[in-house]
Parts: sequence; C-alpha cells; structure tokens
Amino acid sequence: MSWMKDTFELTGSFLSAFKVTWKNLWRKPVTISYPDQKRVLSERQRATFALLTDPKTGEEKCTGCYICQNICPALVIKMEKEIINERGYAKTFYLDLSGCIFCELCVQCCPQDAIVMVRHWEIAEIKKENLVLDKKRLMENQKYPFSTIIGSKIREMQAVPKPPTASS
Amino acid sequence: MNTLFYSLVLLAGILLVVAYLTWLERKFAGRMQSRIGPQRVGKPWGLLQPIADGAKLLVKEDIIPQATDKTAYNLAPIVVILATTLVFVTIPLGKSVVLVDLNVGVLFILAISSLALIGIFMAGWGSANKYAILSAMRGVNQLISYEIPLVLACLVPVILAGSMKLSSIVLAQSKVWFIFYPFLGQIAFLIFLVSALAEANRIPFDITEAESELIAGYTVEYSGMKFAFLWLAEYIHLLAVSLVGSILFLGGWNGPWLPSGLWLALKTLLLFLLILWIRWSLVRIRLDQILALSWKVLFPLSLATLILAGGWSFIF
Amino acid sequence: MNLIAEQIETYKSIIETEGDTLLVNMGPQHPSTHGVLRLVLKLKGEEVVKIEPVIGYLHRGFEKLSENLTYIQIVPLTDRMDYLASITNELAYVLTIEKALKIEVPKKAIYLRVLTAELQRIVSHLVWLGTFGLDLGGALGGGSTLFLYCFREREIILDLFEEFSGARMMYNFNQIGGLRYQPPLDFFSKLKATLPKLKQAFAEYEEMLQENYVFKVRTKNIGVLEVSLAQRMGASGPVLRGSGLAYDIRKAYPYSGYENFEFEIPIGENGDCFDRAKVRILEMKQSLRIIQQALKGMPEGEVAIRPPVRVPTAVKVPAGETYMHIEAPRGDLGVFLVSDGTEKPYRLKWRAPSFSNLAVLPFISNGHKVADVMAILGSLDPVFGEVDR
Repeated sequence: MSWMKDTFELTGSFLSAFKVTWKNLWRKPVTISYPDQKRVLSERQRATFALLTDPKTGEEKCTGCYICQNICPALVIKMEKEIINERGYAKTFYLDLSGCIFCELCVQCCPQDAIVMVRHWEIAEIKKENLVLDKKRLMENQKYPFSTIIGSKIREMQAVPKPPTASS
Repeated sequence: MNTLFYSLVLLAGILLVVAYLTWLERKFAGRMQSRIGPQRVGKPWGLLQPIADGAKLLVKEDIIPQATDKTAYNLAPIVVILATTLVFVTIPLGKSVVLVDLNVGVLFILAISSLALIGIFMAGWGSANKYAILSAMRGVNQLISYEIPLVLACLVPVILAGSMKLSSIVLAQSKVWFIFYPFLGQIAFLIFLVSALAEANRIPFDITEAESELIAGYTVEYSGMKFAFLWLAEYIHLLAVSLVGSILFLGGWNGPWLPSGLWLALKTLLLFLLILWIRWSLVRIRLDQILALSWKVLFPLSLATLILAGGWSFIF
Repeated sequence: MNLIAEQIETYKSIIETEGDTLLVNMGPQHPSTHGVLRLVLKLKGEEVVKIEPVIGYLHRGFEKLSENLTYIQIVPLTDRMDYLASITNELAYVLTIEKALKIEVPKKAIYLRVLTAELQRIVSHLVWLGTFGLDLGGALGGGSTLFLYCFREREIILDLFEEFSGARMMYNFNQIGGLRYQPPLDFFSKLKATLPKLKQAFAEYEEMLQENYVFKVRTKNIGVLEVSLAQRMGASGPVLRGSGLAYDIRKAYPYSGYENFEFEIPIGENGDCFDRAKVRILEMKQSLRIIQQALKGMPEGEVAIRPPVRVPTAVKVPAGETYMHIEAPRGDLGVFLVSDGTEKPYRLKWRAPSFSNLAVLPFISNGHKVADVMAILGSLDPVFGEVDR
C-alpha cells in the first residue's frame, strides 16, 4: 500500500505549495512600473560620467594628466593634452561607455577630482557611436546629481564615520 | 439558419472568452508572483492585452523550415484546434442553450477531444526537429495513458444519472451535485481533474511543452498564426475541461437565485482558477512518473470508483 | 537499388554497434544550460546513454589579460568571473595579494568582508534556487513562481549592496589592504531590518520546494555522486558536501577571520540532487547566522590600512609564488599568483570551482532521463563566466 501513502503525501505537499502561493497572492506587488515610477537611487550610484568645472573660477578641473587613461582596465578613456598658460588641459577627452566596466578606478585616481560619476543611469542609445562621450557631453553631464564618491573623498570615507551632522 | 447563427456566435464567443482567459491567467500569475501582470495595453489593468497579442501573432511572419513535412506541418494546427473546438457542439452553456444535445454527449466529447493527439503528433513529426519529435512521443504516451482514467471518471456521473446526455446529467443533479456524493463524488472528481490536467498538458503534467529540456516541445518550429492556433487550442481545451467538469460534477447550471447561465459560468471560472492555481504552484513531474501515476494509482482507483458508482445506483 | 541496400546495411551496423540512439545537441543556446554550455546528448528513447559537455563559449582570456594589467586594475575584472558572486572573487584575489605582501587589514575590514561575502553567498544561492526551480518546473509554472520569489528577496540584498558600493552586481569594493569605503551610516540598521524578512522567505521556500513531494520525486536518487568520485574529480563546495564530506575551507583553512565565527557545515547523505539542494538551503541559514554574529561584533575603526591608490603602479608584489583559496558559494575558489617583482603578475591562475564541479556531470547522469539531466546540471550550479574564464 505504499502508493496510498504516496498519494496522501502528494496531496499534502500540493496543499503546502498552494498555501505559499495563496499567501503571496494577497501581497502587494513589488514591481516598479518604470517610466511612471522610478527607484530611489543610492547616493553612491555609479552610472555615467561627468567632467567638472571649478564652480568658483569656471575653469575646467581636468589638467590632462593621463592618470585615468593609464589606470582604466578596459582602456576606454582616450585623451590628448595641451598646455595653455603653463597649465595642462585636456584638448580632447573620449570615454567609450560601451566598453566601460564602471569600476570607478578613474574617479578614484583623479588627483584634481575632475572626473566624477553622476547619478543618471538612463544612458541607453540606439547608435553605438553615441555611447562615446566626448569632452562636450561629459561637461554637459554636470547638470546631473553627483555620486558621493569623489577621488579625494574616498580617503575620508575610509576613516571612522562621523555623525551625520558633521558631514553634509 | 438558427443553428448556423448560433454556431457562429459560439465560435466567436469561445475565441473571445479564451482570449480573456489568457489575460486572466497572466494577471493571476502576476499577482501570485508579486508582479502586476499586463498593464500597459488598455489602461485599466491592461484589458486590451489579448487583442494586442492576437494582432501581433497575425502580422507575424509565417516561417516554414525547409526540412519540414509540409502537409503534416501545415495541417497539424488545424487538426488540433478543430478537435478542441468541436467539443463545444454538445456542451450546454445554460438551460436549453446548446447546439445539438446529443444522446451520447459524454462519449462524443471524449472521442473528439482525444483527436487532438493526432494533431500533436503531426506537429511533432512534421516539424522535423528532434525536440519536437521527442515531445510528440511524450505527448502520445501521456495522452493515451490518461485517456482511460479520464473516461472511467466521466462514466461515474453517467452511471449515476443513467444517461450520457449532458442536459440529463445536469437534471439528475438538481437536488444533490455529484461531487457531494460521499467518497464517490470527490474521488471521481479528483481523478477527473488530474487526468484532465494531463490531457490538457498543464503543469504538473506539461512534459510535452517542457521548456527546460525540450524548449517548447512540438510548437518549437511554429510561428505566427499557426503557433497561435496551437496555443489557443490549449486554452480552448482548458475551457472545455472546466465546463465539462462543472457540468459533470458541480451540478452545471443548478443553483439558487442566479440565472442558469451565470451559475455555470461561475463554476467554470472557479474550476479554471483552480487549474491556474495548480499550474503556478507546482513543478513538473517526469514522464515515467506521470505514466506510473496513471497506471498504478489512477487506473485502479477509477475502476474501484466505477464499481462503487454501480453499487450506489443499484442500491438507491 | 544497390545504394539503398547499402545504406540500410550501414544503418543496421550503426544500430547494432551503437543502439537505436538519437543525438541531440543541446545548447549553447538553450533555455536551461545556465549560460552557454553545449551538451551533446546521446539518447535512447528518453534515456541518456552518453553525455558530453562542451565548454569554452564564454572564454574571455581573463588569465592572459591579467598578465598585462597591473595588480590594481585586475580587481574590478575579477568581478566578471563568477558574476553571481562577485565579492567572493574580489576577496580571493585581494587576499592573495595581501598574503604575498604580508599585510594585515584592520579588524573592521575583516568583519565587513565576512559580512559581505556571506550576503553574497545568500544572493548566489538564491539565484541558484530560482534557476533550479526553473529547471524543474519550467518557465511557465511553479518554477517561475519560485524564481520570482527568490529574485524578490535577492533584490533586497542587492539594494543594500548598491547603497554600500554604488553598483548592483560588479562591485569593485574590496581593495588591496581593506575596503574602498565605509558603509553608509544607516547600512547596519537596514541590514538588521532585512534579516527577519530573509528568514521568513527561507521558510517559505522550504514549504514550497524542500518538503514538497513533487520536488522530492524529481530530485531524490537523481545524479548520485559518490564521495570518492567527487574527490577524484576535484568537486568542492555544496556538490562535495552534498555527498557527505564536511569539507569547508572556512573551517579547514580559515581565512579572513572566519575562525572567530560559529557556524555549522551542513552535509547531505546520498549525494543526489536533493542533498545538494538541501545543503545549499541550509547554508543560506548558516550564512544568516554568520551575518548576525558579524553584526553583533562589528568593531569601530578604519576599513583600510592604506589610502586608495592614485597611480596604477602603486602595488608591487615581491617575486615568488602565492596560493590562496577561499570558500566561494560554488566551492573552493583558488588563486595562484606567480610574481616577478614588477607591478604586473607573471601568471595568475584561477582554480574555478564551477569547472571542477561541471566535470562530474558525464559520470553521474548516464541512465537518467532527459528531464533529469537538467535537474542534475541545475544542482551542480555552474556559472560559465567562471568555467570558461
């Protein structure tokens, strides 16, 4: 009569599975209907990049030091340097988002805090060449909110955290 | 003339109801899985989704692979959908709402619905695809083994009512529904449900589709409207199963207060939801286990139920 | 006429020698090969006579690429190997370099590493459980229900990771000598609020799968792996433990402060798919235990012994050989480093657990049905980013 036992066990297990799905039937869906609602992004979100200008003087921060180009593991940054008035500038700056692995090493290395990641992730393009960001588009990306991780800040972020009032 | 009009209305009605049953299934499954389900096409609750699906499948390119057996390949969807739709000829949809109330209604339904098996095998063979042929072989195995318990389970109401006519069966249940007959009714209903699930290729018996190993089984090479036919046939079959189940065991249109058609619709819907609930909560069983379940458990059990039913009708 | 007779003769001889078999080429594009595995199946009816896995469709030359990158640049690339458990890959690599450099990391970094590694183990096992449900139950049915439940819970943990590191899958979050940054201020409180949810979810999965008769029927006595075979093939992790050998590197060769934590090593009995599944589900619970301990004992202080590097060539490893292995969610993840004293490794060899676990497949799936092959493959849980590297 083993099949009788099997049959009873079968029915019982069906019921236990039904119980779980029944419970979940009345839960609120976790779906975020994307274009209507959007997720709250974390403050350290890594999405696309921006090159910064100094808010006081209005000058570009980037000095064309090639460090980000050298550290990039995916080799997506290409730049050329020019010197005007004894200060380096990036004459051209290309960042190929289609090959970028979003590892944040360029941000970590930048001695001038010139390159940062911004919290704007809707960067899909129809044409692949549009994913290559040139200097102009990187400068335009400044309008988006920055990620809180900025080259010189990482050192602070490794230290003992301060109470929230001190760090703003 | 009247018959022609009725059959056209019936056909259109079936297609519409089936289309919205797919919508219901998607919505139900969505909520069960903490999702929302269709919501974009047709703003409140995605109500136009089935129509969008149909339009998409209609305009899709019909790809016929080169190596296929053209006759079998092209004929299979028609055979399948014909076999499943013909069943509705004799199913009453309410008090005296029926195309032909055949004397041998139950027999007709069982005979015609098992014809779909031929269509499935044609699809599997004609596709010239290894996955498809494996799936077709599985399908034949499974459908033949589950035909017997299904027939035996359907015979229980027939014996109790003393007629194969569906309307007489419903009439016989006007006092007590067959499912409320102690032991007899419940076991027969359970056997009916399990074997009907197997006949309709639904989880946990959907080994013919089995997308985890056979991708999509016998439908793998179909596209466009032919695929839609095979897919619709599955749902029409389900609708037929729910209808027949509620007529044979749940008392058909018998019920207080509400009009007869509404009662039948309500019972059918409940049965359909039960099948959906089963589908979205269980995993698939293997082929040999399915066959073992049929021959070792359901077959003897249904024979015993049949004898019990005979005794019951003899005594009372 | 003669030609046809000849053909019939050849077919007859084939049938006599090989039997009436059907050759099915599953993959590399197939819904349940977990990526890009190709399986050459020889079937006799529904029964599998022979099975031959073909790998290499996701080969990206990771090891060779590492020889041309500096030690710092390799860290984000390790995320891409076992992409379901990125942090453990980073951890293995970073620990290797730290062992070669003989540096000690601060205590808070150690605790955070353990915490994140265990969270990652839960994430990885959740993905496994979901896809195992898909393998058994199909994409349209109970399998997908379980899959979506698992991903719902995984999402909660990924959100936490996102708050911590800014990325959801490829974190680049360990650095040589510690962590790249402190967790956000509300990280621990959020994590604490998450744990009961996870516990409840695990109970639900068990109800839905583990105690389920259909699940038992599909997995018991399927793909039985003997301990001796598992050891010979170098299987590790839940695959080995499912066969009944309590070998866990966290206990056998403790690293990164695992000796300070209390946990058990769940083992199976028969080494079938059911046992492997059971071991993984129990392991998730043990991971929760470790996380609770780590939260309780979380020290204050710095998380790195050195500031983040600013130049690519900042780290130079003295010449020599180093081997370090850790318990990744899939098993024994080893890194063998040969350095020649420059800023780039001379050779970096990875011992990927998925690769050794997958090697077991042809030995344990003969004689089973086609549907069982998927169950066995699912229970081995290979990730092809790691198998092919």
